[in-house]
This record gives sequence, C-alpha cells and structure tokens, in this order.
Amino acid sequence: MISIVAETIEVLERRIDELRVAVRQAVLAGDRALAARQRSALTSAERAWEDALEEAAAQTEADPLARAGPVARGSVAQGKAAQSRAAEPPARSGSLLPLREQVYEALSLLQVPAAPKLIATVHEAFFGATFPTTRVTSLKRDEERSFRTAPFARPYYICAALSADYLAPSRGLLAVSTWPLELRVIGSLSPRVDFLTAAIRVAEAIERIPEPPAAARRLLQRFAASVSGAISAGGGADPAAVREAARAELTVHREADAKARRVAAERARGLQHAEQLFGTAMFRDRAGDGAADGADIAGRGAGE
Amino acid sequence: MTARQPGAGLQTGLDRLRGRALPKNHDARTISALAANPGCARRALMDAAGVDKQRVAAHVGFAAQFGQSRFAIVRGNAFEAQVKENGAAQLLILLRDLLDLDVSEVGYADFNDVGGNSSAELRHLHTRHVLTAPDQPGRTLLDHPLLRLRVGGRHAYLEPDLIALRLDGTFHVIEVKSFAVIDGQADPGKVAAAAIQSAVYVRALRDLVTEAGGDPAAVSHKTILVAPRDFSSQPTAASLDVRRQLGVLDRQLSRIASIETLLARYPGTLTFDLDPDAQGRPRRPAAELAAAIGQVAASYAPECLATCELCFLCRDEAGGTTGALGKPVREDLGGIEYIAQARSLARGQVPAPEQAEIAAQLLRAAQLRAQVLGEAV
Repeated sequence: MISIVAETIEVLERRIDELRVAVRQAVLAGDRALAARQRSALTSAERAWEDALEEAAAQTEADPLARAGPVARGSVAQGKAAQSRAAEPPARSGSLLPLREQVYEALSLLQVPAAPKLIATVHEAFFGATFPTTRVTSLKRDEERSFRTAPFARPYYICAALSADYLAPSRGLLAVSTWPLELRVIGSLSPRVDFLTAAIRVAEAIERIPEPPAAARRLLQRFAASVSGAISAGGGADPAAVREAARAELTVHREADAKARRVAAERARGLQHAEQLFGTAMFRDRAGDGAADGADIAGRGAGE
Repeated sequence: MTARQPGAGLQTGLDRLRGRALPKNHDARTISALAANPGCARRALMDAAGVDKQRVAAHVGFAAQFGQSRFAIVRGNAFEAQVKENGAAQLLILLRDLLDLDVSEVGYADFNDVGGNSSAELRHLHTRHVLTAPDQPGRTLLDHPLLRLRVGGRHAYLEPDLIALRLDGTFHVIEVKSFAVIDGQADPGKVAAAAIQSAVYVRALRDLVTEAGGDPAAVSHKTILVAPRDFSSQPTAASLDVRRQLGVLDRQLSRIASIETLLARYPGTLTFDLDPDAQGRPRRPAAELAAAIGQVAASYAPECLATCELCFLCRDEAGGTTGALGKPVREDLGGIEYIAQARSLARGQVPAPEQAEIAAQLLRAAQLRAQVLGEAV
C-alpha cells in the first residue's frame, strides 16, 4: 500500500517539475493567461503532493488495514487534508496523471476498444476524475506521431481499433497497443460483443468495491438499460444480474464474432507495425480519426 | 426514377432560368419541402432549375432566414450520437421491442467513411455494394449509408440516420429526431416533416434496390422514428407508415420530370439570373427580377413560411387574397379570391350568379356574428 502512495508522490513530483518549467516558459514568453493556468495547475499539484505525503505518513503510523485503493482512500486521511479535498470535486491524484495514462487506466479496466465518451465516463466512475473527450482525438494523433518517430519507445501506445473490412482506423474507437490484434479489429458484431464485455467488466469492477461510488452505480445502470433482462424487478441494476444477462447474450454472438476477428487479425498481421496500430492509409483523406462531421453532405456532390 | 432524365432542350431551358449561378443541390429537407406545396408552379420551376431561392428573395427585398438553428443542430447531433453509441446499444433494445428483432441480430456497419475516406461518391458506391449484396452476413444496423435520388436531372445525395435490416431481408429506414415525444404525443408538424423525410429515403432506397434488379417491396413503407421520451434523453421509438407521403413524393417527382410542359407556358426570355459581377454581387435591377418572378404564379399558403425561402415575397403578393389565410379558408370561400370581396358580400352586396350560394352563407354568418356581438355590421 505504501508503495502505491509513494509512486503517486513520485508521479506528482515529476508533474510539479514539468509544471514549473511550463510556468517559466509561459512567463518568459509573455503569455499571461497560459502562465496563470499553469500556475494554478502547479498549486493544485503541490497541494495534492502535500495531501499524499500526509496520507503516506498516516499509513505508516497506524491502521495497517487502510487501503489506498481509489475508493477507500477518502476514509484514510484525516483532518485538514480531508477537509481540503471535501471542498474539491472527488478528484484524486489520478486527475493529475497525463491524459494517456488516464485513458490507459480506463481501457485496462474495460479490456475492449471503446469510444472517448465511454472511456471518460469509466474513468470518472472508477478513478474519480474525468476529462473532456475532445482532448482524446488529439491524443491518438500524438501517439501515432510518437510511434512513427521512435517505434516501440514506450511500453504501450493508445492506438486505433481497426475496421475488419479495410483495416482502417475504426471511427472513434481507442485501444491499447499491447492488446492482441484479435481484440483490436472490429467486425460487424464486435461493437455489441465489446459492449457486453464492457458491461461485464464494469459489473465485476463494482462487485470488487465494498461501497461503489454513485458515478459507478450510474454507469452500471446505463449499461443495464441496454442489455435485455439486466434490469431487476425494482428498476435497479444489480452487478451480478447485469453480468449474467450480458454473459447470456454474449454466448449468442461470441463464436461468430471471434471467427470474423481471427480472419481480419490474420490479414492485419501482414501490415507494417505502424499500420497495425493506427490503421491503413489506403483511402484516408484526412489525418487521424476525424470525428464524423455529421453535417449534411448533400451539397457536396455536384450534379452529374 | 432513373428514366427521369430531362431532355437536352429542357436542360437548356432550366439553365437559362437559373442564369449564371451554380445549381443548388437538393437534400432530404428540400425534397420533402417540394411535396409540402405541390400546387406551386413558382417553386416547382425554381427547384427544378436549381435556383438559389434564398439569394433571389434577398435581392428583391424579401430575405428570409432559413435553415435550422445551430442549437437545434447541436442537440440533434448529440441525441443521435447518444442513440448510436456503443454499437447503437440503446436502439437495439428499442428495436427488439418494436420490430421483434432477434437477439442474434446485432451487427453494426458504419458507412460514415470507407476505409477513412468520406467522399460522397465512394460512400455511395460502398452503400450500393453492401445493400445489393446477395447475402448480408451479420449486418443489422447500417449507420449513415449514402443514397441518392434523381431530382430534376441531378443526383441529390441523401443520408438516412440508420437503416435497419432484418434477417428476412426487409429494410426499415430509421430517422432519429431530437424533438420530444411527451406522453406518447409529439408535435404533429414535426412528425409530418419526419415522415416525409423518411419517405424520401424510402424512395431512394427503393430506387437503389430496383436498379440492382431487386424487389422494391424489400424496403418497408413502415419507417421508424426515434426521439427522446418525455423530458428525458432516453430514446423511444414509434413506427411511421409513410405510404401516403410516398404517393405525394412520387407525384411531385414526376411533376418535376414533366416540368417541360410547365416551362413551355412561359416566354423564352424568362430568367431569374442575378447578373452577378466579378465578386458575385447581383447587378440586376430588383424591379426587373421581381417582374420576372411575378410572371410565374405562386400558390401561397401560411405553411410556406416553414418550408420556402420565397415565403415573404409570396405572402406580400398574396396579401388580401383568401388563400393568404390558409387552405381551409380558401376552400370554405370557394370561388371568392379576395378578402375584401368576401367582406362586401357579407355586408349584403349583390353577388354574381355563380357566387350566390357562398354569398348567402356569408350573409348568414355575418348576421349571426352581429347577433352574438350585439352590434350592427
């Protein structure tokens, strides 16, 4: 337990160093607005560092049963630290992690490719911090650029899920590069299979937590509403019932989906590494993912 | 519909009407607006020629703000994204209730781009390829397929929100709208607009199936409307029968095809050209343009205010006529064109022989009104 806290402190120290550099650069560049933003980020990072230190101290002193899990944490720290946190949203040091690590945390819980919105909701429910989904689109571009400049330099990359037909990046889905290709290709049944799998993962995660936070219960309720037979008679969502209902439907689709994914993954293995992670550029007419522009395109096609 | 290619002579005539401007392409909204007022020659002619009605109306001093509000578009897109997220999870549950969709039917195919390319031509080809394939392995919901419809000799690209395909091979057009269905009731005007828009998609989809040698009956005339329930953002679905709208639409489309006869009624010099300068600013005298517009008869009704860019011009023109008060009034006062005429008949003016019947009714109505209000007319 102490080691986890210690690790968080180290992450925070690195973050504080980075922010100091950012503040210096912004001040020297004369960008007051940016400097002010970075300063406030720095202040909150320092406050979190103090909190984390206090917590670590409290843990070494007493209460060997105290758990530093994301949910139990609030009960551990006492006094001033707890008060200062109570005033803030239920954010913990996780919110100070870089975006890619937050996305990684959420995807690791789900274990299936997911859209930014779901990733953000899952992170909020289980890790106590959320982020604007708009930032996620640029994250994938950054990851791709980083991979192309120095392949495999990082232990993992936030990458694309590939559409099974053209092995192009599947619109709006993110995955983790260390996952097997079979998991990262998306056939026509895969969205449903992945949704049901995610429902099971969320239900299991909630079962592991003694007192699930409200955001997690809301998330489960939303999953339950879209799985036949998952809502219990009282209208509530019981993790075990959701898990069972999702499993029951999953058995219907699993085999056909796995077969399609195996075939597509086999084809994808013939691609270069960067394409395996970020998709082929066969027809691509734009960089990155490009959130669909839902606009009316009727005006675009000229008369023939 | 494919045979509705206008002849070369007609195309020249329509090009002349439009002048130097680029043709405006139709979309589902403008095509459904066509069916809203089938009796209007002015609109039929201008739409067939692809005239930019908004600019024309603005030039003669009757600019109308048209198009959806930004907020409505954002709300609509957000609701659609919500219904479709996670493999359209919310929608699948609804369809299982409404269409008795089997649990095994969950396939989801995205037509928003083809391998990352979102060009209309490529997407349409992909759509056609998939929809006309002999078997449809694991495809139940098709997200934003791109159809097209021939209107007045030009292709309009149409993008239904979703098409649902069942194992038995019937297609159902699904339209996602963001207006609320409260207690099972929704704004009838909005439902009617959604129905005609869905009918446009059904028509285009049937054309596509027919072209491929399939049976047009494979496209169901029952479309599905998905909208938020009550005051929540939870979707609800209802079935819409669009047979009547299809009839109106077909009539309207064939009328565009027979636009040649309509065009022949007007002099060969008629044009709605704005005579733009190098910067695209119109130079044509507004009075001259107004006179040209005036040559083609309009059929104004208050409903035009919601669907036509020329509405304010036509309303101004129709001032004092019974039609300006709406179709029911015009029908009730059959044969009387002007409001003033109706008033003088009600005051006891001696009617022309053919107006005797309606004049008696008006007189009686005026007397009743006077009795009720206790005043002399």
